[in-house]
Amino acid sequence: MRPFRFTNAKDASSAVQGLTSNPNARFLAGGTNLLDLMKEDVERPDELIDITRLPLTQIKAITSGPNQGGLSIGGLGRNADAANHPLVRQNYPLLTQAILAGASGQIRNMATNGGNLLQRTRCPYFYEVSMPCNKREPDGQSARSGCGALEGINRMHAIFGWSDKCVAVYPSDMAIALAALEATVRVRKADGQERSIAFADFHRLPGDTPEKDTNLNHGELITAIELPKNRFADHSYYLKVRDRSSYAFALVSVAAALEVKENRIVQARIAMGGVAHKPWRALKAEQLLVGKEATEANFRQAAEAEMADARPLAHNKFKVELGNRSIVRALQMAFNGGKA
Amino acid sequence: MNDNNKVTGTPVSRIDGILKVTGKADYSTDHPVKNVAYGILFKSTIAAGTIKDIDTADAEKAPGVLAVITHKNAPKLNVRGGLRGGAMLQSPAVDFFGQHIGIIVAESFEQARHASRLIKVTYDEAPAKVDFDKLANDAVRPKDKEDEKRGDAKAALSTAEYKIEEVYATPIEHHHPLEPHATIAEWNGDKLTLYNSSQIVNGAQQATAATLNIKPENVRIVSPYIGGGFGSKGGQWANLVLTAVAARMVNRPVKLALTRQQMVNSVGLRQRNLQKVSLAATKDGKLTALAHEITTHSAIKDEFVEPCGDCSKLMYDTPNSLITYRVVPMNLILPTYTRGPGKSTGSFALESAMDELAYKLKMDPIEFRIKNEPERDPSNGKPWSSRATVQCLREGAKAFGWEKRKPEPRQQREGDYLIGYGVACGTYPVHQRPSSALVKLKREGSNVTATIELAAADLGTGTYTILAQTAADALDLPIGNVTVRIGDSTLPPAAGSVGSVGAISYANVVNDACIKITDELIARSGKQYFARPTASQVMIAERIDTFQARADSKAPEGADEYSSHSFNANFAEVRVNASTGMVRVSRFLAVTGAGNILNPKTARSQIIGGNVWGIGMALTEESVVDPRWGNFVTRSLGDYHVPANLDIGNMEVIFVRENDTISNKMGVKGIGEVGIVGVAAAVANAVFNATGKRVRELPITPDKLL
Repeated sequence: MRPFRFTNAKDASSAVQGLTSNPNARFLAGGTNLLDLMKEDVERPDELIDITRLPLTQIKAITSGPNQGGLSIGGLGRNADAANHPLVRQNYPLLTQAILAGASGQIRNMATNGGNLLQRTRCPYFYEVSMPCNKREPDGQSARSGCGALEGINRMHAIFGWSDKCVAVYPSDMAIALAALEATVRVRKADGQERSIAFADFHRLPGDTPEKDTNLNHGELITAIELPKNRFADHSYYLKVRDRSSYAFALVSVAAALEVKENRIVQARIAMGGVAHKPWRALKAEQLLVGKEATEANFRQAAEAEMADARPLAHNKFKVELGNRSIVRALQMAFNGGKA
Repeated sequence: MNDNNKVTGTPVSRIDGILKVTGKADYSTDHPVKNVAYGILFKSTIAAGTIKDIDTADAEKAPGVLAVITHKNAPKLNVRGGLRGGAMLQSPAVDFFGQHIGIIVAESFEQARHASRLIKVTYDEAPAKVDFDKLANDAVRPKDKEDEKRGDAKAALSTAEYKIEEVYATPIEHHHPLEPHATIAEWNGDKLTLYNSSQIVNGAQQATAATLNIKPENVRIVSPYIGGGFGSKGGQWANLVLTAVAARMVNRPVKLALTRQQMVNSVGLRQRNLQKVSLAATKDGKLTALAHEITTHSAIKDEFVEPCGDCSKLMYDTPNSLITYRVVPMNLILPTYTRGPGKSTGSFALESAMDELAYKLKMDPIEFRIKNEPERDPSNGKPWSSRATVQCLREGAKAFGWEKRKPEPRQQREGDYLIGYGVACGTYPVHQRPSSALVKLKREGSNVTATIELAAADLGTGTYTILAQTAADALDLPIGNVTVRIGDSTLPPAAGSVGSVGAISYANVVNDACIKITDELIARSGKQYFARPTASQVMIAERIDTFQARADSKAPEGADEYSSHSFNANFAEVRVNASTGMVRVSRFLAVTGAGNILNPKTARSQIIGGNVWGIGMALTEESVVDPRWGNFVTRSLGDYHVPANLDIGNMEVIFVRENDTISNKMGVKGIGEVGIVGVAAAVANAVFNATGKRVRELPITPDKLL
């Protein structure tokens, strides 16, 4: 990899300052994605600021503010710890399931919660530097700009929200659950102040600037992920369809959460993975379900309404039918309390 | 010795196991070589054309860089010296995407890799042949493969009452051993030592010497342990000799390991095959014709064609048979031997078609196979040395609970899961190859120890252990008194650990050497014995401190008058999620007739390894080429899906008892290859039984079952 400077951040303030002062610096947390990308010359930072020693690992109940009664998960806590924390298992089993559906035990032990949100796409054209990619080489800036996948091998790629600049999908499982749970991302800014980003606004669709995965500004540090209190714990399910049973990215995944009263749906949340450049909230399906009875027919109607807007590519037409089935199946499983 | 005390045939744990699990076994680049520099290959980014220029100036100035080697400054090599795949920096021609076009040597691996990114290459690009499905129509008969005809299969098919004519497609696969190909090259004057994982130790030595135009005795291959090879470390590739070239040019030892991403276009692959299988049968299930027509691809400058029709030649009795191969050159790396070469892929086509025809005939697929069991090898009329197919099917059916299978698909369901059973057979030939071995005995007081030496290879499957067992029995010594030294070309020459010849060839020569050393010790004592003494008894009685003997063995006289093969029957139970199409093999049973099983524990592991790869072949593994540019888009183990633990259910292995000493004295038949043969078809047949969907294009990913 390219030579780089390495520093240990002593505290959050110096970490943020260090990054702000160098546009080509990156934070290093678990390193499970960044280091791979550096080895392949996809990411080319000249400075890494190690933030793993910052005390941002706690998981605790939120006692004030808009998310009071919810749970705060430290940005530098490890994925495995978040998945297995008793309060997460008890109140947000959807998040536990989603985290455990991703990567491998070893990777989850290293990867951090904030870093998980910042995973980059696994599009093979992004990963191989000799291939065209607007995400790696912003449009018009290099001979390697372009999108290799648009007319290339795109079985794994997007069916919603893509642009002709980029058809990549976002890889995280954890984030799909966080989207359904309407989490908030807490961020420390360059000036030392904090701000909150609603989960739906955190990741971006590619548009003309696929090089930007998120709305996080350079120098901002994810300090925590906040989960609002909800009534989904008894009726939620994360379904992941993939090419092998473990350690594979989703063809399609669905995070489904229902609040049910006497068989009637009070509130529904559905987010999909493997279909777009960001966690895809199935808002159409959600709206159709509210007030309806929890029946397979209603689930199917909602799924079909959502998937009707899909724009598949040459090799991923199957994702439309798979999306349909997966939404229905995830809703059934959620309704049944996670049991088949 | 009494048979009951024999250590062969017992489940001895690997004698090298502790070394491996404690990290003390030295694989290629683990060898402690001083003053080593690090090399990395860099590769073409076009699939066809010519390098116009390579600008290496920035790379040469990068920190730590010792040398940049390209076709401009590489020494002349003999590209026909026996290494596979070309790409030896001898010309500016580019024949495939990711062809080696240079090496950078630096003080550290990361410095070398960094410098490799500073190289600027310009090309004259030529149109590339990289879209197989478009090129398949241009395929022609390979140079060395005549059409094989018996009777008139086409005529029999045209009048048949019951028939199947289908095309079965298999994707490109990669070997992807856990240990990537890696070499340390060290020159000492004219003498070259190569620490390099080699399935054929002497082959690597000969090919390196011929390529470098030096004497074979000046090349030493050291390969005590191999972290998997599956055929890709049988023939050696350019990376081996280029490491030696680099070491010479920087006048230091050089270590060069391929990255996982580089593996896809450096060390061969299993090619994509389109196999048309046509079967005809009478109403009562007697086969009347079998045609197996294979279309595949090879490299631009070399031809390698997997023998996909081999199983079809001999598995079933039919009066009319046709086997043809057609191949088209492509701008992809040369295909090569890959576990169960030809048989694993060929059996997927044949055994799927057998299942399809059985279903059409409304016959049980086991009974259909047994009905067509040949008495002799149909391809050459030779008698079988032994053939366990029927026994494997019968015993397997009983052990698996085959009677619970519903003949019609979609009849077994548990909640969201459709359950299905499938069966398929397999075979792999048995050969003993010429090998030599040295036995050295040493006496200290009344304790005699033995060292066995031969240039054999252990792929990780247990060669050390079975040879220690063999020698312990033949010398009547405790196994702990036997040391095995292999994987070094300075030892007596031996066959490779390829094509299932390893255990057969090595065990026989070691046994022969142990008998010979005993004979020679008895002769040296000059005494007559009432009962034959053991070697150690003579050593002790005659106070002989050290003694050695060498045997040179080959297949017994008359072995080739018989058709000798291992045979198996594979049983799969799959659970298919009716909503998502995800398939899980919940139970798998392989019943194998592979002669004398030297070590049931390592043999079981090896069969399971083959089965797991077969399940991967059926469900998950696929290397995908971009049909515009010829690059692989599946370059990591995150994209190329070998089965994970969760994909594999309950694995059972049964060995059928056989005593077949026709092909070799020890009665060993080999298990490395046969373990994968028939597996993918058993899974695909089970998927059909579960879902009613016949998938003829592997792998069976969820999208194919929606």
